[in-house]
Amino acid sequence: MHNSNDKRTCGDALGEPSLIAVTGLAKDYRVYDKPEGLLASVTGLFHRTSRLVEALKGVSLTVGRGEFVALLGPNGAGKTTFLKLLSGIITPTRGTARVLGHVPWERADDFRRRFALVMGQRNQLWWDLPAAESFRLHKEIYRIDTPRFERTRDELVDLLGVRPLLLQPVRELSLGERMKLELVAALLHEPEVLFLDEPTIGLDVVAQHTLHTFLSHVQTERQMTVVLTTHYMKDVAALCERVVVITHGDILYDGSLGDIVDRFTTHKIVTLDLDDTPSHERMAGFGFPYEIRGPQVILRIDRARIADVLPDILRSQSVRDVSVEDVPLEEIVAELFRSGESPATARFAEALP
Amino acid sequence: MKRYASIFATFARACLVRDMTFRVNFLLECVTSIGWMSMNLAFYLLIFTFTPEIGLHTGWTREPFFAFVATGLIINSIVQALFMPSAEELTEMVRSGGLDGVLVQPLDAQFLLSMHRVDFSAFANGFIGIGLLAWAIVRMDATPTPLAWLLYPLLIVCGVAILYSLVIMLAAATILMGRNQSLYDFWFYLTNFSRYPAEIYAGPWGSPLRTLCTFVIPILLVVNVPARVIAMPLEGQAVGMVLAPMIAAAASLALSRVVFLAAISRYRSASS
Repeated sequence: MHNSNDKRTCGDALGEPSLIAVTGLAKDYRVYDKPEGLLASVTGLFHRTSRLVEALKGVSLTVGRGEFVALLGPNGAGKTTFLKLLSGIITPTRGTARVLGHVPWERADDFRRRFALVMGQRNQLWWDLPAAESFRLHKEIYRIDTPRFERTRDELVDLLGVRPLLLQPVRELSLGERMKLELVAALLHEPEVLFLDEPTIGLDVVAQHTLHTFLSHVQTERQMTVVLTTHYMKDVAALCERVVVITHGDILYDGSLGDIVDRFTTHKIVTLDLDDTPSHERMAGFGFPYEIRGPQVILRIDRARIADVLPDILRSQSVRDVSVEDVPLEEIVAELFRSGESPATARFAEALP
Repeated sequence: MKRYASIFATFARACLVRDMTFRVNFLLECVTSIGWMSMNLAFYLLIFTFTPEIGLHTGWTREPFFAFVATGLIINSIVQALFMPSAEELTEMVRSGGLDGVLVQPLDAQFLLSMHRVDFSAFANGFIGIGLLAWAIVRMDATPTPLAWLLYPLLIVCGVAILYSLVIMLAAATILMGRNQSLYDFWFYLTNFSRYPAEIYAGPWGSPLRTLCTFVIPILLVVNVPARVIAMPLEGQAVGMVLAPMIAAAASLALSRVVFLAAISRYRSASS
């Protein structure tokens, strides 16, 4: 499950300066309430009620060169706001940030030439034109010289197998095909930092897998720093060594993906295929019988006891097949998200380094 | 500057490719706009069957007036072709969050937002305007002087700059308000004032309006000054008259830049 690519380590750990350094970054929005009903709407023309929404509450974080970081969090947690601040699209209410040595919201051209942002729910290619036209425009905007442009375009296009799509109007392409071409466009100027906002949203498993392989390859080849927001744990498991969990505008967890599993799960899942159908009582002696369907049994067993219990099971039961797995990442992360909404947050906060 | 010209050429090329993809739509737009313009010209011809001059002793007889109309057509076609499509699209970009993609590109956002779409069909009226201007000048009593020919394109540029500044300020309002679908309507109401000679704004209602549209929103300088320069002999007050649109253009451009930057810094982006 964990990516063992040793190149994806934190730049700080290698003594390199951080490519992204954020301190106390906060963004507040004033939201105006729209009252229901005609009379209330007319009254609202003269007097509006508003409230302050803290989209981000003072986030501090550093990301080193070559890191692939996943930002996880429930909807409305502040992930996309964070990416928009790092890309300079919006200005923060408080706090500081430096990306590639620049303050993002000053929008220096030198900064904007060195990063790219891909949003899974937004289309940045020209809708009515073939992608090849958008690429040509990109070449001019980013001042890419012709040999470099052609070399990079050909390499990316071949990696994703999208050459036959280059001359087809973007509006005629499927979502997966469009996303592949969006990625090609974003990487044409060889950015040092790539922000990905839910790039695999709505894609089928084949397209997701293609993007994983592509991103992993390009990131390793170019030593690119990537910050990814996603709701798909498959993206995280396939690509990211480091995970930052954000809930309600605050960082709840920042560490390795492996650590999440180690620290926030107390048990493992053992699936047994037996010769006969066991009783609930018979299995309860080994662990918690999560599901018994005929001869197939799923047990939740305490991690500390697994080394002792497993030989016991194999000795006392007629086992045809056995597998031992961690609790699915989705479950762990969902539990983490839930903990961010309740006093149990403290439990996780205490566990943090 | 060269880079921006090259990028604009690429934008224009992409828009032409797109227009050619939807050829029937392109032709229909040309036909509609030429049809509307022809109706206006017919209306003006009708007026001149009742009167030899628009306003007593104003000098706006039939041929000079058609030179005025032609100047308006040329200026408006440039604005409609180069700036209006992008400004209109901005409303949707702000609402949908599409503006995010523009702000991350290493280009001046004002340039990108005001010039990334070109509507080639709008040039149709401009070409008709050039033809109409030639027709009017050939039939006029006085031929324009070399100085008038020199000043005319310069003043056209000033007129375009004033209108462009207005477009940009209206578009900036879109960014601040999140939604501004009346952009085009407001633009139409404003530019309506520039479509007639300044002399018609007289009397207790007209004079304040003329002052407002000359010194506050300098919309009356846009067509009136270049048209007067090309259609009538330059007289003693000409220096002030010619300088006014130049100063107004520079001031409008500066103000629009300030308003645009202030609006962009307050951009909230849309939820994804």
